[in-house]
Amino acid sequence: MIVLEFFLILFVASIAAGALGSIVGIGGGLIVIPILTLFLGVDIHYAIGASIVSIIATSSGAAATYVKDRITNLRIGMFLETGTTIGAIIGAAIAAYLSATILEAIFGTILIISLVPLVRKIGEEFPPIQELKGLAKKLSLRGDYIERDGSKIEYNATNPGKSLAGMLVAGLISGLLGIGSGTFKVLSMDLAMKLPMKVSTTTSNFMIGVTAAASAGIYFARGDVDPLITAPVALGILIGASLGTQLLVKAKNTAVRKIFALVLAASAIEMILRALGF
Amino acid sequence: MSKILGVVLRSGVVLSGIIITLGTALFIANHSLDDTSSYLTYNPSVIPHGNFPVTLTSIASGLASLDPLSIIALGFLVLLATPVARVALSLFLFAAERDRKFVYLTATVLAILLFSILATPLIPFFNG
Repeated sequence: MIVLEFFLILFVASIAAGALGSIVGIGGGLIVIPILTLFLGVDIHYAIGASIVSIIATSSGAAATYVKDRITNLRIGMFLETGTTIGAIIGAAIAAYLSATILEAIFGTILIISLVPLVRKIGEEFPPIQELKGLAKKLSLRGDYIERDGSKIEYNATNPGKSLAGMLVAGLISGLLGIGSGTFKVLSMDLAMKLPMKVSTTTSNFMIGVTAAASAGIYFARGDVDPLITAPVALGILIGASLGTQLLVKAKNTAVRKIFALVLAASAIEMILRALGF
Repeated sequence: MSKILGVVLRSGVVLSGIIITLGTALFIANHSLDDTSSYLTYNPSVIPHGNFPVTLTSIASGLASLDPLSIIALGFLVLLATPVARVALSLFLFAAERDRKFVYLTATVLAILLFSILATPLIPFFNG
């Protein structure tokens, strides 16, 4: 394949990945990795390096908008980030010594199981207001944002410990498999902390960038981040993310949750297929 | 303060986008009809695994000769710096609010982040 053709295919796919990723709080590796390995015949290591690039680009590209609209909860994100960054370092350290296959199978299975509670609350626009207590009260893990109709949506986080444990696992998976594990982060905030869906996806958006940055140094120094792949991926994602953010601000929480459920099912299938050697 | 955060994030993203666009344009101008396989070879037995600059010194010398791959690598490093800058600025944000618990929390995240970006690539254990 010639360079120009390679660039164009990857650029267009990355725009789609950036738009989808910025809406549901994931890094776009879901689209970028199979395009590279299955369609463009690129080595899986370069595909994972590209996934790291796409995660950071989605996160930073979307952040500028979400900071302005104040949907992202920086406090909750930072609290949970302690878990993911530590998990990511441990994951990156043991990745070279561990087969990814079993992990992919386990991760895929967890994702499929978590579809059940997610689908059960598929029509929920806003979660019922929770009582602020314990660690969540001490750290004031609460917040509010303004919906597009001008109404102020308030929420309190519950189960911070459970969510933090989920994040440690999410970080571990990120470091091991080179994915943002945004799906896991959104699930953890949606199911354990019971935040409004848009708060979960935008806060995940903030977190995946930081988690990916934590393992990016290792991947970059190893030579897994190929500039020829980085260029079309980064540019496409940045454009896609700026489109996606504009859609998210206007979208309903139920719509975001429905798209997320589809993405979750797709990631689960992709994980299990990878574990089976496809 | 969150305004400053927005401005820093946006300029980081825009700057990185401009640098990568420049590198891409320069690369396409000279290599648009090349076969991709020569650029995508992965050598599992050596580090770095590919045929492109991965150290700051090699990127710097590549920039001096306007090597497109080094320019793209620089663009990626600018992009990588934006989440780090975001955490660093949040530290000031929490300090300004006199929120001591979150200053400690954010400092921890920043320390882990800097350690893993700057130090772990130098530790052989992490490079298996």
